[in-house]
Amino acid sequence: MILRRCETEVLVVGGGGAGLRAALAAAEAGSAVIIVNKGPIARSGITLTAAGGMQAPFHPDDSPLQYFQDTIRCGYGLGDQNLAWALATGACDAVLDLERYGARFVRNEAANFALGQFPGQSQPRNLFVKGGGIGIVSALAKACKTHGNIRILDDFLVTGLIKGKSTGNPCVSGVMGIDLCSGELTLIRARSVVLATGGCQWLWEVNDCPTDAVGDGLAYAYRIGAELIDMEMILFYPSVIVWPPSLKGAFVHYEFLAESILDGNVYDKENLPVLPKPLPVRDEAMRLLDKAIREGRGESHGGLMWYVGDSPKGLAAVRKKLDIAQYNYIKAHGVDPATARIEVTPGAHYLLGGIHINEECRTTIDGLFATPECAGNFDGANRLAGSGIAATQVFGTRAGRYANQWASVNSLAEVDAASVEEAVTRVGLRLAGHSAADKQKSTVKSMRDRLRAAMQQHAGVRRDQAGLEQLANVIREIQEDLQNATVPAMKVYNQPLLDLLQLETMCEVAALVAKSALLRTESRGHHFRQDYPAQNDEQWLRHTCIAKIGTAAVMGTKALVVQKQ
Amino acid sequence: MIESKSVIYIQALRFDPDQQGGSRFQSYEVATMEALSVMALLVKIHETDASFACRTSTCFKGQCGSCLIRVNGQDVLGCVTLVRPGEAVVLEPHSKFRVIRDMVVDFSQPREDDNDIAKM
Repeated sequence: MILRRCETEVLVVGGGGAGLRAALAAAEAGSAVIIVNKGPIARSGITLTAAGGMQAPFHPDDSPLQYFQDTIRCGYGLGDQNLAWALATGACDAVLDLERYGARFVRNEAANFALGQFPGQSQPRNLFVKGGGIGIVSALAKACKTHGNIRILDDFLVTGLIKGKSTGNPCVSGVMGIDLCSGELTLIRARSVVLATGGCQWLWEVNDCPTDAVGDGLAYAYRIGAELIDMEMILFYPSVIVWPPSLKGAFVHYEFLAESILDGNVYDKENLPVLPKPLPVRDEAMRLLDKAIREGRGESHGGLMWYVGDSPKGLAAVRKKLDIAQYNYIKAHGVDPATARIEVTPGAHYLLGGIHINEECRTTIDGLFATPECAGNFDGANRLAGSGIAATQVFGTRAGRYANQWASVNSLAEVDAASVEEAVTRVGLRLAGHSAADKQKSTVKSMRDRLRAAMQQHAGVRRDQAGLEQLANVIREIQEDLQNATVPAMKVYNQPLLDLLQLETMCEVAALVAKSALLRTESRGHHFRQDYPAQNDEQWLRHTCIAKIGTAAVMGTKALVVQKQ
Repeated sequence: MIESKSVIYIQALRFDPDQQGGSRFQSYEVATMEALSVMALLVKIHETDASFACRTSTCFKGQCGSCLIRVNGQDVLGCVTLVRPGEAVVLEPHSKFRVIRDMVVDFSQPREDDNDIAKM
């Protein structure tokens, strides 16, 4: 059934900011690189949605040490310090690298980087990329396309990692995937594989990510035995639009509500402001919003109203601040963000936990590397604004560099036949179907809707044991329903197959989130347990850790790394 | 046909590369009380007719071009093109790129001149 085979030295899965940066680092160090992306590069992926903030300690009064300390403090001590230190010391270089690749940052009158100060940052540390996430991805994609060592495969859906034959530590030998444009099942062997597949925010009904964010890499790494940590740690952004329906999923900055910026607020239905000033950091803000909604202070579609129309800065200043693509998009939908009340609720925004890595971006599988957002946990239980993009660049570079290093001293691992068989079967089983596609699809949609609603309800801003157990049951039921689902065996762009495989992935990742959230019997940052409302440093300054041993999910904890290097 | 103010009427060009016989238009109706972007419309069509192919990724900024499409004879960004209830629209794949299936195009390859879709 395998129709095509190819080989490379370094294979990068995912063509967002982290994957493209990893590919460049590996290629510049001499490796032959293939990047596979399940959509067209620069026209899919999560980085594109980034507003453009990127943290780096350029301010004369700032330093990597302060950035490091802010990161650890803001993460409630749960971040691995080796990773936080790598981020803090690598961010400035990452910015300069991005400029070298053609991205442009906003500068002030003196031609220095314009620096903003967002909640939790002890110094002005936020740079602004022109064009936001798109500015970054476009520049990196162009650099990749013109680099002789890099080959890009768009519309290539990886369906799983392939293990290597090994007598010692488990290792990776490549990936199985489908070229969506031809339908060919393809085995790509590689000396090292970098996972740069992003988060899983689309598992939640309210989120601000594209439909791509289903957690592919997390499921693939988990299936071959890699350790995942802190999967309960999802960052909820306070203000994601829930109405009108055409704008659902876009977000408006809660940061802009700060006194120093637009000094607006989020209001309840009685027009009372919900957020105090100075603005609290993200996890506190989202909990305040959630509390107000829970108390019945929300509007007709369940949200609160983000509003800057009465800004003391004046309408002209508001319009100037909002004259960026993100707000012009809202305007194009007939809503003027400078004057309208916009209905928002907290929504899933970023995955803090993920595949466990060390400072070389190595996972617990030989030859397998991972970079945030799919790798965790450099930030802990909360993340500072601007660190998401910085992390894609700092760790993307590291992942590429160390994947190259691995590839230069290791040959291709021999593929494990059972692993190939399993990967082929996974796809083959789904294609057996010849019944009516319409009937089946409505089932996939209804199963997916049910999963996302349950995640929103039970693994959202508030959690408790009963809810999480109920969620685990719902996931199990959906997985049972899913077991025999099939799609028509059409070759070219089999979107029903894509939907089905993604739902399978979503269920697996959702189960990991539910299990991890159940295990952490405390509240910390974005993980809020109603039944354990206090932070418990004595017991829980540790990662939750989950790994598949045999066919069972084994839960445990893992010590934090408290050494900087 | 009685036009309803709570429905959007769609004529969508279908292209199945596995079948002979070129393209054909298919009618869909999407019930909605609110205006929807063309992108949101496509997702709704795909949800009720799984065989209808469209890209669903978006940047929420009207910039990435994942949603490039032809609406009523004009090439546009689908995510910032609004359709109101009661309106009728004709949806075709973007005219500049090679069609893979239905509205899904290959952004790396231009449409060939003798492509039968372009002539319709």
